[in-house]
Amino acid sequence: MSDQSFADKAVMDFPRRDAHDKVTGRTRFTVDIGGSEVLHAALLRSDHASARIIKLDVEPARKMPGVRAIATGSDVPGRYGIGIADYTLLAKDVVRYHGEPIAAIAADTLEQARAALDAIELELEPLPASLTMADSLAENATLVHPDWQDYEVLFEGGVRGGNIAWEATVERGDTDAAFAREDVTIVEGFYEVGRQSHVPFEPRAAVASFEDGRYHIHASTQVPWTVRTVTARVLGVPESHVRVTVPTVGGGFGLKFDASIEPCAAVLARMTGRPVSIINSRREEQMTCLSRENAEIRIRSAVTSEGEIVGREATVLMDCGAYGGEQVFLTTMTTHTLGGNYKLGAVRICSRAVYTNTPPNGAFRACNGVYNTFALERHTDEIADAIGMDRMEFRRRHVLGDQDISATGQVYDGDVLAPMLERMEVLRAKSGSRKDLAGNRFYGEATTVGTWLIFVGPSAATVNLNYDGSATLVTTGVELGQGTMMQALPQIVAANLGIAPEDVIVKTADTDAAGRDLGVGGGRTTVSIGAASEAACTVVRDKLLGVASEILQTPKKDLVLARGRIEIKGRPGSGTTIQQVVAEAESRFGPISGSGSFTTPPFECMPGCTAGHFIDAIEPVFAVHNCELAIDPDTGKVDILAYRVVQDVGRALNPRAIHGQIQGGVVQGFGYALHEEITINETGAFDQTGFENYLLPLATDSIPVEFDLYEGAPAVGPFGTKGAGEIPILNVAAAIGCAVANATGKQVSSMPLTPPKIAALIDDCNPPLQHDHISPVWSENTIERK
Amino acid sequence: MTQVHVTTTVNGDEVEFLADPRETLLDCLRDKVGMTGAKEGCGTGDCGACSVTLDGRLVCSCLVLGVEAEGKDIGTIEGMADGDDLHPLQAKFIEYAALQCGICTPGILVATEALLKKSPDPSEEEVRYWLAGNLCRCTGYDKIIRAVLDTARDLREGV
Repeated sequence: MSDQSFADKAVMDFPRRDAHDKVTGRTRFTVDIGGSEVLHAALLRSDHASARIIKLDVEPARKMPGVRAIATGSDVPGRYGIGIADYTLLAKDVVRYHGEPIAAIAADTLEQARAALDAIELELEPLPASLTMADSLAENATLVHPDWQDYEVLFEGGVRGGNIAWEATVERGDTDAAFAREDVTIVEGFYEVGRQSHVPFEPRAAVASFEDGRYHIHASTQVPWTVRTVTARVLGVPESHVRVTVPTVGGGFGLKFDASIEPCAAVLARMTGRPVSIINSRREEQMTCLSRENAEIRIRSAVTSEGEIVGREATVLMDCGAYGGEQVFLTTMTTHTLGGNYKLGAVRICSRAVYTNTPPNGAFRACNGVYNTFALERHTDEIADAIGMDRMEFRRRHVLGDQDISATGQVYDGDVLAPMLERMEVLRAKSGSRKDLAGNRFYGEATTVGTWLIFVGPSAATVNLNYDGSATLVTTGVELGQGTMMQALPQIVAANLGIAPEDVIVKTADTDAAGRDLGVGGGRTTVSIGAASEAACTVVRDKLLGVASEILQTPKKDLVLARGRIEIKGRPGSGTTIQQVVAEAESRFGPISGSGSFTTPPFECMPGCTAGHFIDAIEPVFAVHNCELAIDPDTGKVDILAYRVVQDVGRALNPRAIHGQIQGGVVQGFGYALHEEITINETGAFDQTGFENYLLPLATDSIPVEFDLYEGAPAVGPFGTKGAGEIPILNVAAAIGCAVANATGKQVSSMPLTPPKIAALIDDCNPPLQHDHISPVWSENTIERK
Repeated sequence: MTQVHVTTTVNGDEVEFLADPRETLLDCLRDKVGMTGAKEGCGTGDCGACSVTLDGRLVCSCLVLGVEAEGKDIGTIEGMADGDDLHPLQAKFIEYAALQCGICTPGILVATEALLKKSPDPSEEEVRYWLAGNLCRCTGYDKIIRAVLDTARDLREGV
């Protein structure tokens, strides 16, 4: 638990210490690790969505110039995954998606490795493919994994079967009774969204070597411990035989939350005895991106004339692609987002990860929260319209407040959303309407709310107090650009030890040096690693004060750590320096260090209402977004005129860094909502192979985002902080979608809202969405429980 | 394939390297000259992470062959600072926190330096359009735009 007396010392706009090297081009990312001893690897990938491998003869490739080693499925036999071990690193017997790796070749140069791929004799016999969730859920559908029952289950409690990789359900209260009430209006909505590609400019990359009988992988990853675990599983070696270190990472956004190519580099390194580098080309990166998944959503709500939501049921289909991956876990998060934001009576929600013969999906900043919030907020507009209540008035009256319960029956502490809505009104009034900028175009505005989680979980930290009075923080946190390792963590340690953040050295991630950690993502680094670091500081401080107390003949409680000194309270300049106390400690018992750890506190939910959930109760985090936009009625092109964010940050430790996260996350959301589109063709491949047709936001598409940081909500993080990097993207699709609906007066039910789609919407040319493979009878969308 | 001997000037220093005639200038700079500041973001000239100048002209080095650099002056991010003295754009990027992961940053700095040489008093719109060929996935561009505009103002005012 934080000592709040240090809190003010932790708050500052501490600049990034990696900035100098980044602006001078000196920073070495994984893609910059080279040298003449490094071999380069390339992957042979499937050009079929579903096929049997009839022939795979790599011998001709071995004779190609420069080739040093070739790995195939039998070299990496172990399966891995989240919840279920369904994933193979290199396909064996069958391929399940277009782009699936089948073999890996290491050669002296990348050109040689790529040339040798062509010499591999590969014959694929096409099999029937399920390219859409409708295909996969059809009667007598082709099974993507006919052997699904044989896979090892890694997390108990999930319900699965056939093409349903995982299913999570929540049932709280009597929903049937709620819908049968005579005083309710029933509102139903269908929604669907496409995939989004992360596009970190450093692609997934790894350089592996085999040293002293162990694998050492430099990886561009967000979770070194996952790379360690997955590599060990697929190679069939103890985890202790794998060391993962992480240089500066050139962006992740969730893509690097799972392992992918790293174990291939490892196995090739063992085979050749040389370091082996694998770097995805942009085309490979795009075509096999572990994207934010496409999804189909049906929501029904029973609402009284006052707007009380007495019953809600929802079914969400999430396309996990050919392997379960992160979507298995994310089925859990549907409950917490669709069941968030508003007070609910009875509720039942089913979320299913559905196998298809398409590239596997993964985690992407705020994950399914982004589209569930879009669906929920559009549905909320439709509810308000149906009962004749103003859309904002509905939100003000019905957002979750203190002691309200979530979908899983978790009791939320504190009024957060209602005051955040008020703060948005203030922010909106301060900058004023931009309606005049719309000219003769359609003008729309919307304010939306969002609920997401801080993905807390286990973290470990060690703090070594050095002889010179500086401190070294050892964790397996990773710097992806978010700044946590450069700013929040040294600020937290410095505040706890009374030293300057410049004097806190943060070790780069090394699984040989620090304890296990769930990785960087889900807004967890500042909270979880921060809390573990604080716990380590508590040990250090205790040792330091113990020795100082004897030197200064003053009780520990009367001593304070400040300005690199241990001083007697109320007497600045008294006492002695940290260095002197460290020297004294060394002569008595040795150097001063401390370790600390953290894990998710026991949040409570209503027992027995959930099934298949990885997390039943959450550390919630909230956001309120407002958007004003203009639409060209002829082309359907949207211009964002103003964008405003009120974000629940708990306590803002580095406001400038949080501003950077908000601006960046919102602009990523603009891309998702408006023009980042992935379509899958009849071969099961993405049509968008690179930046010429996958349209990212440009400098010309961005506007300055106005923001207000809402502090003071209950939080478990150090000094009451919450992660701020993940949720800036949470409500962007919702706010833009609702503003487009407001501007056009039409139903907005799908994302992205590309100009042709909006033009068709304006002209009433879009057929209403319906998903025949989602039954109107909720229970028919669930697997019967035995 | 026969390697071609290329003689160029990189950031004022004469540099020689052997290039496969099909090899990009980007790969030559990274693999032969050892300058890894320019990055391959796409390899198709869409992202600008590999921006360098060739005889003062801004180019995507992934779209230029190494052999085309024969006899030319190449400017890269590694030559932007004067020893320990950062270029005003670099200093302003740090001051404004106009970078996050930093992998696009070298390309953006090289591109904006070229802009300010050509147009010392750019409008915001001009900066945005000039940078439309430099993608950044982290920052949402705003702090970058402010940093460029303010550097231009400082340079004009001789700050």
